[in-house]
Amino acid sequence: MDEIRSSMDNIMAIFNDSITHSAPKKLLFNRLSTSFSDDFVASPKKRRLEQESPERSLNTSAASLNGSSTDPLSSWQTHKLRAELVETKAKVIQLRNEIDQQNREYRQALMLAENKSAALKDQCDSTSKRYSELQKEQLTLRKRELALKDEARRATSELAQLKLKYEEIVGNLQKEKYQQEEDARDVQLCINNELSEYRRMAQRSDLELQSTRTELERLRRRYEEFKARVAGHEELRGNYEMQTQSLRAANDRIQELQFEIQSYNDWKEVTKASQARLVSLPDLQAEVERLRNHNRHLNTLIGDKLLLEEQVHDYKTRLDREEGARAEAASLQVKLAHVEQELKEWVKVAQDHCLANTLVSPMALRSRIEQLLQEDIIHVAEKSASLSDSKHLQNTVRDLEQKCAIYLKNIEDLNIGLKRHKNFKERLQRKLITVSKERDFYKQLVENFDKDMTMSNASVADMTQDMQVRYRVEVLERTVTGYKEMCSTLEREIQAMRNQELLAEPVGDGYDSVKKELDTLRLENDRLRRRKEELELEMMHRYLRGDFNMKDYKVVHLKQNPAAEAYESSQNMMEKLQAEIERLKRRNKKLEDDQEQRLNETTSTGGMTLNFKEFNQLRADLESANGKMRKMKDCFKAARDEYRDVCYMLLGYRIDRIGANSNYRISSMFAEGPDDYLDISLNESSCLALLESPYSQTFNPPIDQQLAASNFPAFFSALTLELFQRATVTIN
Amino acid sequence: MSTAQATKNCITLKGSAQIIAEYLKYGINSILFQRGIYPAEDFDSTQQYGLTILMSKDPKIQTFLQNVLSQTEEWLSKNMINKISMVITNVHSKEVLECWDFKMQAESGDGDSSDPTKLTTTKELGRIQNEIRDVMRQISATVSYLPLLDCICTFDVMIHTLQNTEIPAKWDETGAVVIQNPQSVQLRSFSTGLHKVDTVVNYKMSS
Repeated sequence: MDEIRSSMDNIMAIFNDSITHSAPKKLLFNRLSTSFSDDFVASPKKRRLEQESPERSLNTSAASLNGSSTDPLSSWQTHKLRAELVETKAKVIQLRNEIDQQNREYRQALMLAENKSAALKDQCDSTSKRYSELQKEQLTLRKRELALKDEARRATSELAQLKLKYEEIVGNLQKEKYQQEEDARDVQLCINNELSEYRRMAQRSDLELQSTRTELERLRRRYEEFKARVAGHEELRGNYEMQTQSLRAANDRIQELQFEIQSYNDWKEVTKASQARLVSLPDLQAEVERLRNHNRHLNTLIGDKLLLEEQVHDYKTRLDREEGARAEAASLQVKLAHVEQELKEWVKVAQDHCLANTLVSPMALRSRIEQLLQEDIIHVAEKSASLSDSKHLQNTVRDLEQKCAIYLKNIEDLNIGLKRHKNFKERLQRKLITVSKERDFYKQLVENFDKDMTMSNASVADMTQDMQVRYRVEVLERTVTGYKEMCSTLEREIQAMRNQELLAEPVGDGYDSVKKELDTLRLENDRLRRRKEELELEMMHRYLRGDFNMKDYKVVHLKQNPAAEAYESSQNMMEKLQAEIERLKRRNKKLEDDQEQRLNETTSTGGMTLNFKEFNQLRADLESANGKMRKMKDCFKAARDEYRDVCYMLLGYRIDRIGANSNYRISSMFAEGPDDYLDISLNESSCLALLESPYSQTFNPPIDQQLAASNFPAFFSALTLELFQRATVTIN
Repeated sequence: MSTAQATKNCITLKGSAQIIAEYLKYGINSILFQRGIYPAEDFDSTQQYGLTILMSKDPKIQTFLQNVLSQTEEWLSKNMINKISMVITNVHSKEVLECWDFKMQAESGDGDSSDPTKLTTTKELGRIQNEIRDVMRQISATVSYLPLLDCICTFDVMIHTLQNTEIPAKWDETGAVVIQNPQSVQLRSFSTGLHKVDTVVNYKMSS
C-alpha cells in the first residue's frame, strides 16, 4: 500500500510539474487565449520589430550620433529625435501592455492550473481511497480465493477418494459381474443338462403315452366287452328280481293261508265253547233268577240307607237351627233384661210425670206428653204473639217517640213563636209607648201653640213683650228637650231592635234559614263527594304505581347496573368534551390573536404577504440569476476586451466611450502620445460630429476641409497612413 | 297411579319463580328493543311463547340480567318481593322517564296449603304461557301510545323486597323512583297459581 501511495505521490508531483511547465502550452488551445496566441502570432513580428528596433535604434542612435557627429543639432534632427522618442515611447507602452497582458494570462493560467491540481488531488485522494478499498477487497478476495483453493483441494482429494472408492466398487462390481457370468454359464449348463434330461423324459413319456394309448384302446375294447356282459347281467338281475317278487307274493299267500287255518281253529274252539254254554243255559237262567232276587234285595237295602241318610241330614239341619235359636234366645234374654230395665225407667219416668192418683201407663204418658206439647204450642203461640205485640208496641213506641219528638219540636216551634210573639208584643208595647209619648208631645205642642195663641190674645196686655218672648223660649226649650229625649229613646229602641233582630233573625225566619242551611249542606256534600272521587282516583293511581306502604319494603338494585355505567361514561364524555371545548377555545383565541398580529404586520408591510417557502425559492432564483448575470457580464467583458483589442490591432484605432452622452474618443495606434486623440459625438439624428480637441488643432489643413471632401472612414484611414508614414519616414 | 299424576302436573314455588324470571328476561329484553334504548342491530330474534322476541346480544346486558334474575328467582321462591321495577332514565339529566312495574302477589295455590314453603298448583304450563304471551303482545303494543324517547336513555332494574331481606354482596339499597307528572297504564295480569304478576307502565306525561 505504502509503496503504491508513494508511487502515486511521485506521479502526482510529476503531473503537477508537467502542469506548471506545460500551462502556457496548454493554454494555447484555450479560447480566451486566442488573442494571446494571436499575440504570439503577432509577436514574431513585434519581436522582429523589437529585435530590429534596437538595431534600428542603434542605427538611429548611430545615425543620430553620426548625425550629431556629422551635423550640428538642427530642428530637423530634433524633430526626428522627437519622432523616435515618440515611437519608442509607443513601443514601450505597447510592450508594457503586452507584459501586463501576459502577466494576466499567466495568472489566469496559474489559477486554472491550481484548480485543476486541486481537482486532481481530490481525484487522487478518491482514487487512493478506492485503491485502499480495492486492496481490502483484494485481500478479502485473496482470503476467499485461499478458502476456495482449500475447498478445491479438499474437493479434489474427496474426488480422488471417491474415485478410488468408485474404482473399488467398479472392481467389485466387475468381479461380481464375472461371478454372475460364471454363475449364468453354470446355470446355462445346468439348464442344458436339465433340458436334455427333460427331452429324454419327454421322449420316454411319449413312448409311455403311446403304450398307454394302446393300452387304453385295449381297455376300451375290454370295456365294451364288459358293457355287453353288464347288459347280460342286468337282464339276469331283472329276471332274478321278478322271481324274488313272485316268491314274496307266494310267501304272503302262504302266510294268509296259515292265518286262515289258525282262525279256523279258533272258530272251532269257539263253537265248541258255545255248544258247551248252550248246554248250560237252564243253570244260567236259574242263576239269573237268583241274581235278580239278590239284586232286588240289594235295591231295597239301598233305599233304606238313603232314607236314613235323609233323616240324618234333616236332623243335622235341625240341630244347626236349634243352636242358632239358642244363641238368639241368649241374646234375646240379654235384650229382654235391658228392655225390662228400660221399661222400669220408663215406668219411673211415667210415675214422675203422671198424676199421683192416675194409673201409670203408656197411654197416660202419651196423653201427658201430648198435653205438655199442647201447652208448649200454646206457649210458643203466646210467645210469638207477645213478641209481635212487643214489636208492635215497640213500633208504636217508636212512632210515639217520633210523634213526641215532632210534638216537642212543635212545642219548641210554638215556644219560639210564643217568644217571638212576646217580643212582638213587647215591641208593640214599646211602640205604643213611644207613640203615646209622641202623642203627648204633639199634645203638648198643640197646647203650647194654643197657649201661644191665647197668650197672644189674652195676656198681651199684662205681659211685656220681653216676658212673653222669654216664656215662649222656655216652652220651646222644653219641647225641644222632650223631642231630644224622644229621639234618644227612639234611637235606643232602634239599637235594641237591631240587636234583637240580629239575635232573633234565625229563629224568626225558620224556613229560610233551614233552606239556606240545606243548600250549604248540599254544596258541602257535593264538594265532599268530588273530593272523595278525586281521592279514589289518586288511590287507584297510587295503587297502580304501588308506592304506598313503601315503609314495609326497601328498594335494592345491582350496584353494577347499565344505568350507573351509562352515567359514568356520559360524565366522562362530558368532561372530555368540556376539556376539548376549553382547548378549542384557547386555540381559537390564539388564532384570533395571530390573525390580528398578522393583519397588523400586513398593514405595516404594505400588504406584502409572502410565504416563507416562496420567499426562499425566490431568493434562490435571485441568487442563480445574479450568478448567471455575473457570469454573463464576465463573459461579455472578456468578449468586449477581446473585440476591442482585435479592432485596435486590425484597424489601428482605439475607440473609448466617454461620459454618459454618446461621446467617443479615438486614439490611433500610431499616435505620438496619449494626448493625441480626437473627440466625436453622436447626435440625435445619428450623425457623427467631430469635436474640437488639442490634437485636432495640430492638423495642418483644417479637418473640416478634409471631412467635407471625404467621410470619416476615409479620413481615419488617411490619418493612419499619414501617421504610419511619418513613423516609418522618421525611422527611415 | 294417582300420586304419579299429581306430581306430574304440579308447579312448586321454585318452578313458579323460574317461570316469572323467564318472563322478566323476555319482557325486559322486549322493552329494551321496543323502546329503542339500545340500537336495533344489538338484538337477535328468538322464538318464545309462540312469539318472536328480540334479545340483546350485548354481553354486559346479558350478564346483568342473568345476575339480577337469578337473585330475583331466589327471593321470589321465598315470596320476599313486592314488585320489580325496570326504570328508564335519561343518561344526561338522570331524569326518570318510564317505569315498568312488575307487581308480585303471592297466591296460595290449589294443593296442600299446610306448609307455606311447599305450596303447589296444578295450573297447566301451557295456560300460563298463553297468559304471558298476551302480556308480551301488550308490551309490544305500548309503543303506539308511550311518548317517544328522543334522548339517550339507559335502564336499571330495582327490586322492592321486604325490610328484613339481607342485601347480598354487589347489591345496594336505593330510593324509590319518582316520575314527574306520571301516567299509568295497567296491562294484563298473569298468574302461575302461586304468583300473580301485574304489569304496569308508568310514564312521564309530556306537557
